[in-house]
Amino acid sequence: MLYLTPQFLFFIETILFISVIFMHLNKKNLTIIFLYAFQSLIISGVLFYSAFKEDSLLLVVVALMTFLVKVLIAPYFFLNLIRKNRLNFSVTSYLNSPLTLLVLSFLTAMSYSHFFKPLTVLSPLNENALLLALGMIFISIFLIINRKGVLSQMIGILSMENAIVSFSFIAGLEATAGLQMGILFDILVWVIIAIVFASMIYKFFGSLDTSELRQLKEK
Amino acid sequence: MILLFVITIPIIMFMFSFLIRKNLMALGFASTIALIFEFVNVLIISLYVVRFGNYVFNKYFVIDSIGAIMLVLVSLVGMAASCYSIGYLKKEVEKENVPFNKIWKYFALLQLFVLAMILAIITTNPILMWISIEATTLSTAFLISFYNKSSAIESAWKYLIINSVGLLIGFLGTLLFLYPATQNGFGFISWDMLAINALTFNPAILKIAFVLVLVGFGTKVGFVPMHTWLPDAHSKAPAPISGLLSGVLLNVAFLAILRFKNVADASIGKEFSNSLLIFFGILSIVVASFIIFIQKNYKRMLAYSSIEHMGIAALGFGLGGSGVFAALLHMIYHSLSKSILFLSSGNIFLKYESTKIKNIKGVVHSLPVTAILFIIGFLSITGIPPFGIFFTEFSILSVGIGTHPFVIILALFSLVLVFAGFLTHVSSMMFGENENSKEVGKENVWTILPIFILVVILIILSFYLPSDLLSLLQSAGIGY
Repeated sequence: MLYLTPQFLFFIETILFISVIFMHLNKKNLTIIFLYAFQSLIISGVLFYSAFKEDSLLLVVVALMTFLVKVLIAPYFFLNLIRKNRLNFSVTSYLNSPLTLLVLSFLTAMSYSHFFKPLTVLSPLNENALLLALGMIFISIFLIINRKGVLSQMIGILSMENAIVSFSFIAGLEATAGLQMGILFDILVWVIIAIVFASMIYKFFGSLDTSELRQLKEK
Repeated sequence: MILLFVITIPIIMFMFSFLIRKNLMALGFASTIALIFEFVNVLIISLYVVRFGNYVFNKYFVIDSIGAIMLVLVSLVGMAASCYSIGYLKKEVEKENVPFNKIWKYFALLQLFVLAMILAIITTNPILMWISIEATTLSTAFLISFYNKSSAIESAWKYLIINSVGLLIGFLGTLLFLYPATQNGFGFISWDMLAINALTFNPAILKIAFVLVLVGFGTKVGFVPMHTWLPDAHSKAPAPISGLLSGVLLNVAFLAILRFKNVADASIGKEFSNSLLIFFGILSIVVASFIIFIQKNYKRMLAYSSIEHMGIAALGFGLGGSGVFAALLHMIYHSLSKSILFLSSGNIFLKYESTKIKNIKGVVHSLPVTAILFIIGFLSITGIPPFGIFFTEFSILSVGIGTHPFVIILALFSLVLVFAGFLTHVSSMMFGENENSKEVGKENVWTILPIFILVVILIILSFYLPSDLLSLLQSAGIGY
């Protein structure tokens, strides 16, 4: 069985990390969906590897389900949302690109700070990959905060979930196959509900820009 | 076997809702009867726990003392909310505020919501608990947006996004807690297994894990500063759902934190988790008290009061000793009082069609029975004797006065501020009179009876704690 060297794991994690950086820099909804699908494809690949390594049919099913839900179904729903509401226009953020990059640098540096250093005990050989996965979690949260678009916020949450999956894979913290199925089912339901809400927001506010949601402001 | 009923009743009722979707009364009655049956089963299980210790169904589902208390609260408040919904929704359908074809979905989702909370309480596995708590978010999102108004959709979106981020942070913390178990190949991981093997944990990782869990599940509990979704969601949801969200869901999320605290304490001692709970507790109490004082919307006022009371419970657990017993009892009193207040606020909303305090005047004249029930709830929630909350707050504050005098003085000042705020707002709503005052209206028995039952239980428990409950509380407090 092929063994994933620390260098190769770091390489995979770097690609995942860069995909979130591109999500921040890119202004097109379609590209962000593509980046998410690409990110999920890598995660599915990693899960397939894990399943074959463990020689577990159940884990193969989990990896297959992950592929179906994250690479095919979720992007399909997002594309439908774009097509239905003609949302091909650019996405907007609160901070401009230079400031966004500055925050991203800070968050990445934070994940490598002494505060999170104890986490490297989880997998001393993959220290860099582990902390990069942590950085990916932080910048995914920042994507949710910085973006005004409903779609970007949804992708931010799903990207954060991908980051946690990659973190747990590197750290060897994977749950049992049954529980992973439960988590995946939760994600699928979450995507469906979030898409329904996005459509409702478009219907009521005529936009998917969250800065337009001002009905809760106290008068 | 009884636990099988507890799990399957909401599932059966969920499916049954579709079959009787054309009859509102049948839907409401079936849902309420199902939850009464649920309540009876839960009571039997709780009595078993009192007599014989943990109720073990299988390795996946076990009910301990704290779980039994939470289960009783979920089924009791669920039963009251379902019964109240009959009259509440009937009125809303008549006024055409809610389309009739949405009613069955309401009752179906209500059952799913109750089921998700039950599973979160009874599961022995931390990840299954996370999945169940995430399921509560998913099942309630549509209930919060039930009115299909732009503000309700906005609050539901905020609820969905903030809670999802919070729960993902909690998920990362949960995975870190499982680290030694996954390394040693324990297979199915339970709370007990984690506690037994607590000494094998790396203390530094455990500290990070507990902070993540506290922030993550604390978002669902409504601790400041992760609370921002709570006032919006609780104020925009239909009154019975607000009662359930505030009365029991916060407790269930708190239970998740307590389960992790138990494991963390066994490894790194109580000081770390206790100081964090005291920090989040006092912050929640202080911030909520100021906002309650200047509040303009009575449902938001009740929502902020929930944040304040979760803060008080956190303070009790953080201070330890007899504060733990008081905090557990406080959660029971809060559940009952807050459900009473939210359900009676539903009657006020039905009459006045507004949630703004300035638009509500003379409730004692227009809705005399509701006014009495609301005032009882107000007196209880602000900790006026002889209601139980007075004694629990007094106990918690007296535990901490020696060790954390500054925190206790701050908490005391905040409690006075909360009382002053509530008194001003409630007296203006109950006794004021202006052009918006309404004629005396006939109060529907379905929107009074469940509140009345909760009031009776609250009053009885304020004066007398049955020995079985006392024994459950004492054994639930062990270890915290």
